[in-house]
Amino acid sequence: MTMQDTVLHRAGISRTKATDAVDPITTEVVRHALNSAANQMKRALVRTAFSPVIYEVLDFAVALYDRDVRLLAQAPSLPMFMGTLNFCVIEAVKGIGGEARLNEGDIIIYNWPYGTGSHPQDLAVVMPAFHDGQLVGYAAIKGHWLDIAGKDPYCTDTIDVFQEGTIYPGVKIVSRGELNDEIYRIILANSRVPKMIAGDLNAEIVGVRTGVRALLEVVERFGPEVFGRAVEEMFDHGERVVRDYFRRIPDGRYIGHGVMDGNGVEPGEVPFQVAVEVRGDGVRLDFSGVPGQQAGPINCPVPSTISTSRVAISMLAGMGEAPNEGHFRAVEVVTRPGTMFHPLPPAPCFLYGWPALQAIEVIYQAISTAAPDLVPAMSGGCICSLVHWGTREATGEPWADGAPHPTGQGAWRGGDGGTMLHISESATRFSPVEVWESRNPWLVERMELAQDSCGPGEWRGGLGIDFDFRMLEDTYVTTSVERTKNPPWGLEGGQSARANDALILRQDGTVESRPKHTRIAVRKGDVLRLSTGGGGGFGDPGGRSPEAVRRDLANGYISEEFARRHHPQAFD
Amino acid sequence: MATRIGVDIGGTFTDLVYYDDETGETVEAKVPTVPHAPEEGVVHAVRDHVPRHVVERAAFFLHGTTVGLNALLERRGATVGLLATEGFRDVLEIRRGDRAEMYNLFWRQPEPLVPRFRRLGVPERVMATGEVHRPLDEAAARAAIAQLLATEVDSVAVCLMNAYANPVHELRLEALLREAGFEGGISLSHRISGEFREYERTSTTVIDAFVRGRMSNYLQRLDARLRELGFGGTTLITRSGSGSMTFAEAEDRPFETIMSGPVGGAHGASEFAKVLGIDALITADVGGTSFDTALVLNGEPQVLYEGSIDGMPVQTPWVDVRSIGAGGGSLAHVDRGGLMRVGPQSAGAVPGPAAYGKGGTEPALTDAAAHLGMLGPGELASGITLDLAAAEGALGRVAQRLGQDVETVATGVLRIATAAMAGAMREVTVEQGLDPRSMVLLPFGGAGPLMAVLLAEELGMRRIIVPPYAGNFSAWGLLGADMVQSAARTLVTVLDEAGLASANGLLGELFGTLGQRSARPDATVASARLDLRYRGQEHSLTLDVPLDGLRIEAAPETLRASFAEEYRKTFGGVLDAAVEIVAVRATYTVHLPPREMKVSASKASDAAARSVEAHSFAHGRRMPFLVLPRTSIARPVDGPAIVTEATSTLYVDAGWRVAPGAHGELLLEKVKG
Repeated sequence: MTMQDTVLHRAGISRTKATDAVDPITTEVVRHALNSAANQMKRALVRTAFSPVIYEVLDFAVALYDRDVRLLAQAPSLPMFMGTLNFCVIEAVKGIGGEARLNEGDIIIYNWPYGTGSHPQDLAVVMPAFHDGQLVGYAAIKGHWLDIAGKDPYCTDTIDVFQEGTIYPGVKIVSRGELNDEIYRIILANSRVPKMIAGDLNAEIVGVRTGVRALLEVVERFGPEVFGRAVEEMFDHGERVVRDYFRRIPDGRYIGHGVMDGNGVEPGEVPFQVAVEVRGDGVRLDFSGVPGQQAGPINCPVPSTISTSRVAISMLAGMGEAPNEGHFRAVEVVTRPGTMFHPLPPAPCFLYGWPALQAIEVIYQAISTAAPDLVPAMSGGCICSLVHWGTREATGEPWADGAPHPTGQGAWRGGDGGTMLHISESATRFSPVEVWESRNPWLVERMELAQDSCGPGEWRGGLGIDFDFRMLEDTYVTTSVERTKNPPWGLEGGQSARANDALILRQDGTVESRPKHTRIAVRKGDVLRLSTGGGGGFGDPGGRSPEAVRRDLANGYISEEFARRHHPQAFD
Repeated sequence: MATRIGVDIGGTFTDLVYYDDETGETVEAKVPTVPHAPEEGVVHAVRDHVPRHVVERAAFFLHGTTVGLNALLERRGATVGLLATEGFRDVLEIRRGDRAEMYNLFWRQPEPLVPRFRRLGVPERVMATGEVHRPLDEAAARAAIAQLLATEVDSVAVCLMNAYANPVHELRLEALLREAGFEGGISLSHRISGEFREYERTSTTVIDAFVRGRMSNYLQRLDARLRELGFGGTTLITRSGSGSMTFAEAEDRPFETIMSGPVGGAHGASEFAKVLGIDALITADVGGTSFDTALVLNGEPQVLYEGSIDGMPVQTPWVDVRSIGAGGGSLAHVDRGGLMRVGPQSAGAVPGPAAYGKGGTEPALTDAAAHLGMLGPGELASGITLDLAAAEGALGRVAQRLGQDVETVATGVLRIATAAMAGAMREVTVEQGLDPRSMVLLPFGGAGPLMAVLLAEELGMRRIIVPPYAGNFSAWGLLGADMVQSAARTLVTVLDEAGLASANGLLGELFGTLGQRSARPDATVASARLDLRYRGQEHSLTLDVPLDGLRIEAAPETLRASFAEEYRKTFGGVLDAAVEIVAVRATYTVHLPPREMKVSASKASDAAARSVEAHSFAHGRRMPFLVLPRTSIARPVDGPAIVTEATSTLYVDAGWRVAPGAHGELLLEKVKG
C-alpha cells in the first residue's frame, strides 16, 4: 500500500451560532438538568438490562446530543464509547437515508465498525428528539452485546471485519414507535445467546426513550431559545477550562512510545508512537507515525482514535468534570489512512480498544517528557478482558459472560497508585464474584492483591490482583490481555511493575500461557489464572519514607525481601 | 393520645422535645452533648427538663442519634477485624474497580475501614446454591481468630462468600470467636443483608461492626438510665429506612440506625409539609458536626434501597438524606497547598468553638458567625455567653497563616461552608432535574436558621420557612415516627398461582417472626410488599400489595398488571416477559396517635428594639441589625435583623422580610434583588 496523505480531524465542533450570553446560574441549572437527563437514561438502561455486562459491568455509554450532534451531556459510563457516540449518531442517520427520513418515534441501530469506531459487538442505538415537530437532538446508547454471530463470541485472531459479527448498517428497529419485527427476528437469529440480546435490546430501547423524554423536558422547561443559549455558554466554559490547562505546558513536540504484544495473527511485537504537539492553548495529537494497518485485529478505526484523544485530554485537563463538546475544541488529531490508527475496510478491528487504551498512556508518557509532575506513571496498561461461554450441562442452554479486570495504577508525584480499572473504563465496574457464581459454572478460588506486584518508587504503584477461576463445567474462553511482555513504566526514577499474564492450569499439572487467545477449551476442573499487572512507581525508591515502607510491609503489600532490595533506608 | 419524649443527639447538642397529652403542650430543651457518654446528655435533658410525673406516664421515648454516623464520617469507630473466605481478604479494598470521580486521573480510593493486616482469610467455601463446597477448617479458623484478636480488635465482621445462601460457616465462626474468649461485637454478613454482591455486603457488615460496639453498649446504658428516671414505656430509635424500632431490635441491627439522626428531621419536614400543603421543600439541617439535606415531595421523604456513606456502599433501605461533614463546629484550617478549608473536623461539644470559652483554640464556623455579629449581641439563650475575644483570636491565627485580615477569613469561612452545603442540596434537587429556585427551604438544627439566607441566596431560592422548635426540629420530628418492624426474605419464583401461594406461605412465617420479637399492640397495621421483576432481569421494583388479614389478596394477573403499571411509570415502557417474585417483605406498623401543632401566639414586645453591628453579605460590610426575640414577631419585619430564640438564631440579611405564620413558623421572603 502506498503512503497516503495525513488527515486532520478537529475533535470538537465550534460554536454554530452567535448568541447572547445567559446568566451563569441558568447555565449551571441547564447543565445539571442535562446531566440528570443522561443519568435517568443510564438508570433505565441498567435496571432493565438482562446481561451482567450491562447491569453490573456498565459496559456502555449513554449521551445526549443537540441537533448539530454536539455532546450535551453523558452519564458516567464508558469514556471510550462516549467519545465515539457522535460518529455513531451521524452515521446511523446517514444509514437510514439522512435527516429527512427521521420521524418522531424512530429508533435506529447501527454497528458498522468504521462508523462506530468499535467492533461489531458494540452496537449503537440512536433516537431523535422532536420538539413541536422540529428535530432538537438525539439520545444515543452504545452498549456491548455478548454475541452477535462473529466467528467466535470474542475474537483475537480475525483477518477481516466480516468475521467479527453481523453488520447493521443503520436500520430502524423501531419506526414511528412500532417495533420492526422483521429486523428484530434477524437480530435474534444472529446471536448465540438470543434471549440476552432480546433483553438488552429492549433495555436500550427503554433507555433512549427515557433519554429523549428527559431531554424534551429540559428543552420545554427553559424554552428552546434559553436552552440553546445556555448550551453555547456551557460549551464555551468547557473550552476555556481545557485551553487554560495547556498554557501550563511548554510549546513543543513530545513523543511517547507504546508497544503491542502482537497483532493476534502474526508473531512479533508491534511498537507504535504518538506525538503530542502543544502550541499555545491548543494540542495536536499526531498518530501519523504509527505502523501500517495490521493483518490481525489490533486496528483502531478513526472514531476511536479521536475518542482516545478526547478521553486522554479531558481526563487530564478537564478539572475532573464531565466533558462536553467544548472540552474537545482545543484538540486536533492527525491520522494517516491505511495505518493502525486509521485502518481502511475491511481490515479486522476486533481488538481496536487495546491500542486505543494504551495510546492514552502513551500520550501521558509524551507529556511527561515536558511536564512529569502532571501525569502518572503507567498502569497495568490493559483492561485484562476475559470472555467465557459454553452450554450448561443440566439444561443445554447457551451462556456467555465477560468482564474487564482491575490492575495497579501508576504512581504520581505526591501519591501512590491504587488498584482499579484502566482509566479508559473509569466508571466501569467488574462483576461481584457472587453474581458471577450465581450465573456461571465457576468457582472463583481467589481474588487477592498480589504482593510485590507494584512498581517501587518514592511513591509506589498500585498492586495487581491474582484471580483463579476454577471451571465447574467445560467452558470456552477468549483472553485479551495486553502488555504481558513489556512491564508498566515508572517515571522520574520510579521503577516498573509486574506485567499482566493469563495462564491455564490443567488438571494434569501442565501450565499454558494464554494471554491473547481465542476459544481456549478450559475443561471442567481446570483453572484459569489471571494475574493483573501493577502500576509503575514515581521517583527514586530510595526516597520513600521509611514509615510508608514499614506500613506496606505490615500490610503485606510488599515482602521484606522487596523492601530491603528497594528501600534499604527503612532498615537503617 | 400518648405522652411521648423525643431526644435527638447531635455531635454538639442534645435536643429534647416532649409532648404531654394531658395538657396538649409541647416543650423543648437543649443541652450540650456529652461525647464520651452520649446517654448522659440524654439523662441530663430528661432529668432537668421533663417533670417526673410526665416521664412516668410517657408511653414512648423516641430517639435519634448521629453517634454511628459521626463515627463513620470522622472515622472514629471501633477497631474492626474482618474474617473473610480465604482468597478474598481484599474484597473491601479492591471494591468494584471503579472511580468515584471518573474524570479524575488522580482519584484515590478511600482508606478501607479495616486495614489489610486486620483482614484475614479462613479456609472454607459455600457455593452460590448454598451447598458447602469446602467445610470450614476449624484449626485454621482458630489460628486466624487468635491472630486477629492479637491485633486488639474491638469488634469483628465476618463476611464469607455466598453466606446469603447458606450462613453455616459464619455462624460457626461466631461460636469459635466466643470460644476464643472474644467478648466484643460480632457482625455476621447474612444477618445484615440477605443480598448477594460481596463488596457491598462486606462494606455494610464492616460499617455495622464499626458502629456496633458503640451503639449496643450505648442503647443498653441509655435504657437502664431512663428506667432509673421512672420511664416505664417503650424505647424506640429511628431507622435509616424511616419509622422507628425498639432498642432491643436496634442492638441486634445497629447498622439500620446509622442514618437515625437525620431521619427525625426528614420525618418532621414531611409532617410539616403536609400541614402547610407544600409540594416541594428542601431541608437544611445544620448541626454542630454535620449538615443534612433531604427532598420532601408531596409530604413524603424519598427512600432509597442502597445508600452510600463517604463512598462506602450500604445495602439497606434508607431515607435519602445527604450528609456532609460541615456544621457550626466545623473547624477552619489551612491545607498543605495554602488553601483554607472548613471541616470535616469539628470542635464537637468539647472543647466546642473558641467562643464557647471551654478551651477551644481553633476557629469554628460558629466563631466566624459570632465575630461577624450574626449571632446577636453575645448571650445565647442556651445559657452560653459568647467569648468574642477568643473567637477573634482563633480566627486571627488562621488569618496570619493566610496573610489575610480577620474579617475576610470570617466571611470566607461562611462562604466556603455555604458552597459545600449548597452542593449537597443541588445533589438532591438540580441533579435530579428539579429546580430548587421554585422550592421552599426548611432550615433547622442549631445553626440551620443562621445559614438559611446564605443557602437560599446561593441556590437562588426566594422562600424560607423556619419551623417552630427549629433548633430542636429533629427531636420534634421524632415524636411522629411510627413504630415499624419489618422482615424480608428472598424467594425467586414465577408470579403465578403457585408462586403466590409460596409467597403467602413465606409471608405468614415472616409475620410470625415479627410477632415473636415483641408483643403487638391493638393498633398494629400489617402491610406487605413484593419485589418483582421481569424474568432474566437483575433489578426489581418494590410493589405494595393489598392484604386480607396476613395474606396477599390480589390475583396474580392483577399483581402483574400493577407491576406493569409501575414499570411503565418508572421506565416508560413494558417488556414482553414473565414476571418473577424476587423477595417478600412483611411490615408491622404501629401508627403513633396524632398530635396537635399548638404554639403560643406571638405578641409584640414592649422592650425597646435593640440592635447590633453585624456583617451583611448583601452589602459586603457591617451595618446595624435589629435584634428581635422570635416571640415578638407579630407582623412582617424587614431585614437586616437577627431573630433570637431558645435553641437557635435566625440571620435575616438585608433584602429579606420575615413574617409570622399560622402554625408557629416564620416565613422569610426575598423582597429585593
